[in-house]
Amino acid sequence: MKILLIEDEAALSQVIMQSLLVERYLVEQAFDYPGALEKISIYTYDCILLDIMLPGGSGLQLLEKIKELGKDESVIILSAKDSVDDKVRGLELGADDYLAKPFHLAELHARIKSIIRRKNQNGDDVIVYKNVAVNTTDRSIQVNCKPVNLNRKEFDLLYYFIIRPTKLIQKNSLAESIWGDHIDQADSLDFIYSQIKNLRKKLKDNHADMDIQAVYGIGYKLI
Amino acid sequence: MKKSLKNYTLSYITIIILIVIAVWATLFYAYITEEVYDNVDDGLKNQKIEIIRAAYQDESILKTDTFGINQFKITKSNVKIKHIEKSTFRNELIYMPYDEDMEPYRILTTYFYGKDKQMYRLEIRTSTVEEDELKYDLATALIILYFLIIISIFLLNTWVFYRAFKPFYQILNKLEQYQFGKIRESEPIKSNVREFTQLDTEIDKMLDRNEKIFKQQKLFIENASHELQTPLAISTNKLELLLEDEELAEHHLITISETKESLERMIKLNKALLMLSRIENNQFEAIEKINFNSLIFEVCEEFADLIDFKGIKIKINEHGTFTIDFNVDLAKILLSNLLRNAINYNKSLDGLIEIKIDQHHFTIANTGKGRGLSADHIFDRFHKETSAVNSNGLGLSIVKTIIETNKNLKINYSYSDSFHIFKIQKL
Repeated sequence: MKILLIEDEAALSQVIMQSLLVERYLVEQAFDYPGALEKISIYTYDCILLDIMLPGGSGLQLLEKIKELGKDESVIILSAKDSVDDKVRGLELGADDYLAKPFHLAELHARIKSIIRRKNQNGDDVIVYKNVAVNTTDRSIQVNCKPVNLNRKEFDLLYYFIIRPTKLIQKNSLAESIWGDHIDQADSLDFIYSQIKNLRKKLKDNHADMDIQAVYGIGYKLI
Repeated sequence: MKKSLKNYTLSYITIIILIVIAVWATLFYAYITEEVYDNVDDGLKNQKIEIIRAAYQDESILKTDTFGINQFKITKSNVKIKHIEKSTFRNELIYMPYDEDMEPYRILTTYFYGKDKQMYRLEIRTSTVEEDELKYDLATALIILYFLIIISIFLLNTWVFYRAFKPFYQILNKLEQYQFGKIRESEPIKSNVREFTQLDTEIDKMLDRNEKIFKQQKLFIENASHELQTPLAISTNKLELLLEDEELAEHHLITISETKESLERMIKLNKALLMLSRIENNQFEAIEKINFNSLIFEVCEEFADLIDFKGIKIKINEHGTFTIDFNVDLAKILLSNLLRNAINYNKSLDGLIEIKIDQHHFTIANTGKGRGLSADHIFDRFHKETSAVNSNGLGLSIVKTIIETNKNLKINYSYSDSFHIFKIQKL
């Protein structure tokens, strides 16, 4: 999986790249408009992470170029502006997703994964981990080939874990990803705990080989 | 009670004119009566001379001893008087058949020696001015005059006022219409009065200056929040990477996680500040007809897990449909902020949220800890009633700012029956 990271802020670009490398992606960086344009014209990527405000031009212009060149790279816009207009315009111009800075890296990974999976989709898209299969197309899961009923939020939770098993997921990024900005930090610990408790119970009752482990004070991981 | 400038001067004028007229009336009355008596007395003295002269020539006149048609009488007198020439005057009320009433008469009394060396007493009378009636007539005339003066001053004043002070009221009106941060149609006031044009330009200058400062401050906050985004992103993301480092011990991870949480609070605060400036800069332009009923249900649904988790009961009563032209994103932010507020500040046990929707207003009411809050400050930025950890003090000021984007909406807070009530109504 090859990703082009277009971000003018070197330090930010660096930390995003590190995180992507941990996830075993191939990452190339571009720091300005001409550099990005050059890379886009020459190479092909699976996913492009695109900052809107770039030296030498706008990310939205780059987006137009990508479409002009007839490329079908998936694009995730990373914007510091978080303006509705930019979001609408970006998505109209063919971007696949929009992430407002600052974001959780976990959230970025989740978005990249679902975009790449959507792109490479042949028939139903199923993620399998141990004896659990998660079908992201019809949002169903099976444990030991037997269907298990999960409600919407439980499915979202499980999905968030299963795309990055064994990785520590912080409770805040979980809360924000699944319940939006509505959960305040003071509540998040207990609230997430109660939600995860239900999911764990269902997994256990259906003899799944996996469990969601709490890492005290920080978050959870799927093992 | 405050008077208008016009009535203010008028009220003084009425009092002053009243005093002036009263003083003038007494003086006038004194002069008039004096002049009248002077005239009457002169006439009487003249008559006296003529009568005495006639009495010398025609002694039969001396026999006129009653007031007849001649209006004088001559009687014999034995009084010894030193100054025989001296005439005395007195006023007397005498019955007058014409008026069928007692009328004032001026009577001259004098003594003279007739041809026969006999002393006679001569009394001549003439009808004189009725002082009562004079007073009465004078008063009536003056009262009428007084009111005429007041009315004409009032009319003149009004006319002059509206001509001369028109620009003043235009300036006043302009200031009344003025809304901070809104573009003004600043047409300069046309006036021949230098003070008014000066006032107008000075006010315009002052407003411009204030707006400029305000804009600069707004821009400063906006830029500061904006510039904070990147370092915040870098630091939280670095900490996030660090948290995935399996070589670190758990206590390290916890410290890192706590640090990250603090940074995330800052991110939220920063986002709220950016949100405020975006709303104030009218960056949510797209307006459409919004059905708040369905939006309220939608937002409640989003919060359902949290409401459930907190054991809060929520009741929604629909008595009508609340629709208004609004930006859909702002409407969502508005409702989620209000609902989040109602959840966060609810009681820890048996909390209740009641939402009532009507055609003209809707209310979001929640039970809560403690007393009612200060309605004056609750929407202020960074105003905190309690030292809540999970509050950045901007939620309700965002609500207020959103409400202010639509001139036809109003929000107010009240506290009754141990419910905190936020009411949004159409104007």
